[in-house]
Amino acid sequence: MRFFPYILKQTGRNLRKTWGTQVMTLLTVSLSVLIFSFFFLIHTNILKAGARLGDELRLIVYLDDEVVPAMQEQLKKRITDFNEVENIVFVSRQEAFARLANNLDQDRDVLQDMSPTFLPPSIEIFPKKNLKTLTTIKRFSDYLITLPGAQKVQYGQEWVERFGYFNSLLRIVVLLSAGLLVISTVFMVSYTIRLTLFTRHEELELLRLLGATNTYIQGPLLLEGLLQGLMGASLGLLSLFLLFSWIKLRFSGPGFLNLFDFSFFPPATTCTILMTGIILCSLGSLISIRKFLRV
Amino acid sequence: MTYNSQSMVELVKVSKVYPPDIMALQDISLSVKRGEMIFLTGMSGAGKTTLLKLICSLETSDKGLVEVAGHDLNRIKPVVLQRLRQKIGVAYQDFRLLPLQSVYQNIAMAMEVSYLPPATIRKRVESLLEQLGIADKRDKLAGKISRGEQQRVAIARAATNAPTLLLADEPTGNLDATITKLVVGLLESLNQAGTTMIIATHDQSIYRQTNHRVINLEHGRFTEPPMEP
Repeated sequence: MRFFPYILKQTGRNLRKTWGTQVMTLLTVSLSVLIFSFFFLIHTNILKAGARLGDELRLIVYLDDEVVPAMQEQLKKRITDFNEVENIVFVSRQEAFARLANNLDQDRDVLQDMSPTFLPPSIEIFPKKNLKTLTTIKRFSDYLITLPGAQKVQYGQEWVERFGYFNSLLRIVVLLSAGLLVISTVFMVSYTIRLTLFTRHEELELLRLLGATNTYIQGPLLLEGLLQGLMGASLGLLSLFLLFSWIKLRFSGPGFLNLFDFSFFPPATTCTILMTGIILCSLGSLISIRKFLRV
Repeated sequence: MTYNSQSMVELVKVSKVYPPDIMALQDISLSVKRGEMIFLTGMSGAGKTTLLKLICSLETSDKGLVEVAGHDLNRIKPVVLQRLRQKIGVAYQDFRLLPLQSVYQNIAMAMEVSYLPPATIRKRVESLLEQLGIADKRDKLAGKISRGEQQRVAIARAATNAPTLLLADEPTGNLDATITKLVVGLLESLNQAGTTMIIATHDQSIYRQTNHRVINLEHGRFTEPPMEP
């Protein structure tokens, strides 16, 4: 059990000796975590918003003629064979007319001279509520138009496509910032540990001659990387939380942001980002140890 | 297998050449028993330091066998070597102190690598500082004390972790007669407690009056075969 106090003591000494570089590394790691988690937070919130908007999503297949019950089963099967759906509703001409009248409410008089069969029959398809649905809806729509008797397929094409493009763009930004996070943390921590190794070169050489074990020599260096990861990721996430709280407070009330129910990362995601920071920084540390420390 | 449980150090036909072709040691054979104290003498460049470096595995031999406590140093596993080094105290000729660390830290690090309790380390280090007359330098930076004091710090570090083998390279080179007595007294007491000692020295005053073996090196060879004690 005396192993840990020695490792901690040595790590403290390393941090004190190269504090200037340590602070720079800490800031770089924090900034990288902040940039990545900022875009990731937007991405996850947009996904949530997309899923919520998807609740309203339905595809309407307008048909030439009414579908007899025997045919309805066949169509249901063909639809569900292609994609998972939550519900399929067949709407007859009369039902469509009744709905329209209901929607017009007090203005239903305008329908007085119209035949109750002037609207086409249709199939309303409620797809599963997930992002996959939003991204594959175009393909689904293209398939539905091939159904027998299908005249036209309608859904919120425009917003779904725009949402899809925006989501793809955001995904690229998240991936790029993740790359930045990986490169900057691993590189910076590796560089800092290298500096520690050069600063302590004489001491490490002597420790070897005194019979220090690999763990005794490498432990503090690994712990140094680990602490950089822990503190850098914590600082980055804390900054993001403060930024998030400020934005929420500043833009509360009616406005664009209220369209979305913006929320911070759940604890599991926060822990994952924290752990990723720790692992990446420890990796940077390990790379330097392997490359420059001959034990 | 030449290992003899009585033997701490065994050298059999050991040679060492430094590039390009400086023959530091030639076919040296030596056996040092556990608890023995021997003096290596000879002019500068005779090979005394090289011999000590081979025994503490700071250098490897080009030919021959070097065994310490039954371990062949040319074949020893790193983990075993680390453990062995914890039990070999070495007072280097150039001291190898860390100038930016205190005298106390320089000595304590030899015990810290064995994860000994801080209280044990403190007691042992302070006792050694007292014995060597440098207790008042405890918190001074090693780089800021005199060479004589640095030499005593190096000796204290070599002696601190209760070594089974202590190698000292010119341990009294920078010391006056009074301090030399203190150092020799410490080395003698360690030897009496069971530590095997190999001391390389020019200083006749420290071995002239003793019954310990004195081995003379000249141009990398013993001038006469070392007698068994």
